[in-house]
Amino acid sequence: MKRMRDFTHGELDWRPWLAPLDLNVASEQQLLALKVTPSNRAVGAYSLVLAHDPEALAERSPLYNGIMFGPRGLPRADRELGAVAASRVNGCAYCASVHALRFTQLTKEPEVMKRIQRDGADAALDPRRAAILDYAAKLTRDPASIGPADAAPLRAQGLADLDILDLTHAVAMFA
Amino acid sequence: MSDVMDTLAGLMPGSPLFELRRQRADVVKHLQGSDDAIFSPADDGGLTRAERAAAGLRVATLLRDPELSEHYRARLVALDSGGSLAKTVEGGARITEGRWDAILAHVDLVTRGPGSAERKDIDNLLAAGLSSHAVVSLSQLIAYVNFQSRVLAGLRMLKGAA
Repeated sequence: MKRMRDFTHGELDWRPWLAPLDLNVASEQQLLALKVTPSNRAVGAYSLVLAHDPEALAERSPLYNGIMFGPRGLPRADRELGAVAASRVNGCAYCASVHALRFTQLTKEPEVMKRIQRDGADAALDPRRAAILDYAAKLTRDPASIGPADAAPLRAQGLADLDILDLTHAVAMFA
Repeated sequence: MSDVMDTLAGLMPGSPLFELRRQRADVVKHLQGSDDAIFSPADDGGLTRAERAAAGLRVATLLRDPELSEHYRARLVALDSGGSLAKTVEGGARITEGRWDAILAHVDLVTRGPGSAERKDIDNLLAAGLSSHAVVSLSQLIAYVNFQSRVLAGLRMLKGAA
């Protein structure tokens, strides 16, 4: 697997290649999509770039929140694991760094992300996380290769169908 | 209103997988909302609906997803009466127009290896005449169809393993 900048030692810097929207010239629709109010003008560069298409951004933000923070179902740390696995396979060091940090904050287990940094999809993890990592890597690399048999290792680790749906959404968001 | 993912995955109201999706009502709602915003925008920012359908078809073709390809092919046929865009996506025909070539090259690059995209790839789109709005729309579209194909793969897996 291709080497990647170390993403386990804090969040990597992200600088856009497209000029972010200037809030001073933003339309009402753009401000609405960004949820900017007079008392809240703190918006990251990433959102300001996406605000060039306010229709898509206004749907993407609640879609993302529903996938990563929806109640019940797959534990949040496992959704972050899916996001990191997809980002690692994809070569997106920035996304990997953000979500590795969140995983480690939630689990207090930095070793897991160090292993994924070093060994990618081949990282040696406990059986439950290994099943999640395998599925995430395969779904990211080649969705056409996924078949009914791929549900079995996840179910064998106790994942219910809602957990598997949650994992699928989280991986797909980053794949 | 029909839901694009239910239609593509063949999920009927009342079936277990249809009901499972409803446990994530926000995801269902905003996934469909994203589809509408990306393929039927009120303001297209200069990236036409036909071009959007053609770019969607390209992603689905690269991912070797026949049903998703057929979905975008049908959309494209409805919008691109001459069929010229469809030929460039699937038939290997080249349009000499630099703008569409640049769009297709970007779709291919980001779908095949997003980690290898560089600043110059965005600059190429701007140089080909795309607005910032169109560049973001195209990026959202590529991300969305890649997302959609993987959600679909997961739904098919659960359906087949029921």
